[in-house]
Amino acid sequence: MSRFIQLHLLTSYPPANLNRDDLGRPKTAKMGGVDRLRVSSQSLKRAWRTSDLFGKTVKNGLGTRTKEMGRKVYERLVEKGIGHKDALSWAGAIAGVFGKLKKLTDKEKTALKKLATEERREKELVEVEIEQLAFFDLEEEQAVLDLTNSIAERKEGPQPEELNLLRQKMTSVDIALFGRMLASSPAFNVEAACQVAHAISVHPIVIEDDYFTAVDDLNDGSEDAGAAHIGETGFAAGLFYSYICINRDLLAENLGGDEDLAQRAIAALTEAAVKVPPNGKQNSFASRAYASYVLAEKGEQQPRSLSVAFLKPIDNRTLYRDDQDFGTAAVEALEAHRQNMNKVYGDCADELYAINALKGDGAMAELLDFVTC
Amino acid sequence: MKHLVFRLYGPLAAWGEIAVGESRHSAVYPSKSALLGLLAAALGIRRDEEEQQAALAAGYLFAVKVLRTGSLLRDYHTTQVPDSAGKVVYRTRREELIRGKARLGTILSSREYRCDSMALVAVRANANAPFTLETIREKLLKPAFLLYLGRKSCPLAAPLDPVVSDWDSFGQALDEAELKALMVEPDDEQRWIPVEYQTRYYWEGEDSSLKAQQVLTRHDQPFSRRRWQFSQRAENLCIGKGEG
Repeated sequence: MSRFIQLHLLTSYPPANLNRDDLGRPKTAKMGGVDRLRVSSQSLKRAWRTSDLFGKTVKNGLGTRTKEMGRKVYERLVEKGIGHKDALSWAGAIAGVFGKLKKLTDKEKTALKKLATEERREKELVEVEIEQLAFFDLEEEQAVLDLTNSIAERKEGPQPEELNLLRQKMTSVDIALFGRMLASSPAFNVEAACQVAHAISVHPIVIEDDYFTAVDDLNDGSEDAGAAHIGETGFAAGLFYSYICINRDLLAENLGGDEDLAQRAIAALTEAAVKVPPNGKQNSFASRAYASYVLAEKGEQQPRSLSVAFLKPIDNRTLYRDDQDFGTAAVEALEAHRQNMNKVYGDCADELYAINALKGDGAMAELLDFVTC
Repeated sequence: MKHLVFRLYGPLAAWGEIAVGESRHSAVYPSKSALLGLLAAALGIRRDEEEQQAALAAGYLFAVKVLRTGSLLRDYHTTQVPDSAGKVVYRTRREELIRGKARLGTILSSREYRCDSMALVAVRANANAPFTLETIREKLLKPAFLLYLGRKSCPLAAPLDPVVSDWDSFGQALDEAELKALMVEPDDEQRWIPVEYQTRYYWEGEDSSLKAQQVLTRHDQPFSRRRWQFSQRAENLCIGKGEG
């Protein structure tokens, strides 16, 4: 199996402000001495790892979305002869691992005291419900069930370590890929198995300013005809080159040798990188985009990004001359550079697979198959 | 004398200086600790393998020729983290952000990068070197761990193209090693990432072809990797090979 999986992505965003600096303006960098738009590595990683898509793919997409896991645990405990109070508190502890629990207000609790026992108990169960839908995969459901049985048998609430174990898998994927550094206790540090470069536009940019006003709808203009609010925001559109490299060996090692989980982690990261945009100012710009082109490579050779393809920026002059669009020109530049690099240095990877949404070539499912086997 | 020469290039690089707190400065060329880290990663020596790290640190001398210092980029970096009050355990990043929403605070830092910087590195093995230069070359071609230019978000954008050969001095090795082109048209390279008019040489110890114009004190000789301690060392500098 090849050690390194490299992903090269070209993603085009319409006018947007995806990743801002301390002045609220889009981040930039110089490449080839020319200003480029930039989305930082950490901004990309945050968007991916906190996305629903990432969580679901890691969990294989099979499972249950529910708020009522706590209720299920409660019912089982009562069935097995645990008293109402203990069952309620234990079920709450277990469900609480998967999300924040609903809470009754003091007023509601006082009101409950007037009810008959049966009805009161039913209403109290609200407190073991999770506020938002939580996703449980098959193994997690089984782990919850096992823990429920075991605490019912020993008639003693769950221990903190047992609760931690319930979500260990999800934790481990997140940290195995992106690492963890705790200066206070280096023993818990994990070396990230994945490297994500800052995404940089393949062309020069000028950041534009949007001066905007907001009108007060109820102001009829009889006394003051001015705007209720004025503001300014920087924005730019860009076709970004992004690069990711995964060390598959280290990933599997970080996951305790669980190859199957490592495959799912790679698939989750790949799919998120293709489909999940950074969150910045999405409400103002709705600049969500999927990658137009993805090239995946596998091999043992020293990994390298292909950013040199865009040192010479793709600009309007070349495009007019060759009657081309940015996307096609960028794909061609990337491919030409990859081939030239192989010619000069010898093959930089053993196998590759590409999808190209500009032409309709390749398929996402095949890309995921390629990176996971 | 045998030397190993390789090239470092990437659109962004970060060669950390002494940093405490929110300012994370970058030097214009790699520190000795950064180069040792790069070799260790290639060889598969982990950060906590104290003995191997120490042997590596004691085993080699380095020289750097800075072809381009590149331009400075200061990155405004924010990290959202919930405080650790109470007994709440956050198991994933997503959980920190959703469940810890009410407790989220922001840690600010200012991180420096160099854009489009490029350097050549020459390595010489001491008598006590744990690996031969040939072994290191092999490992640089097929590394055990990911390599990067100071920060993990700064991947290499070109093969290191490592060469082992006989040269009299660091100066000769750095000037005569023939590295393959990055861009196909040689003119392109000169246009988009031009080599600076006055290249700088930094090296340790005596060298027969380089004359020191200045001796610098750097705190980048790893002392204990585990405790993150570095000791001082002297480094020579000349600009434009001391020709004035």
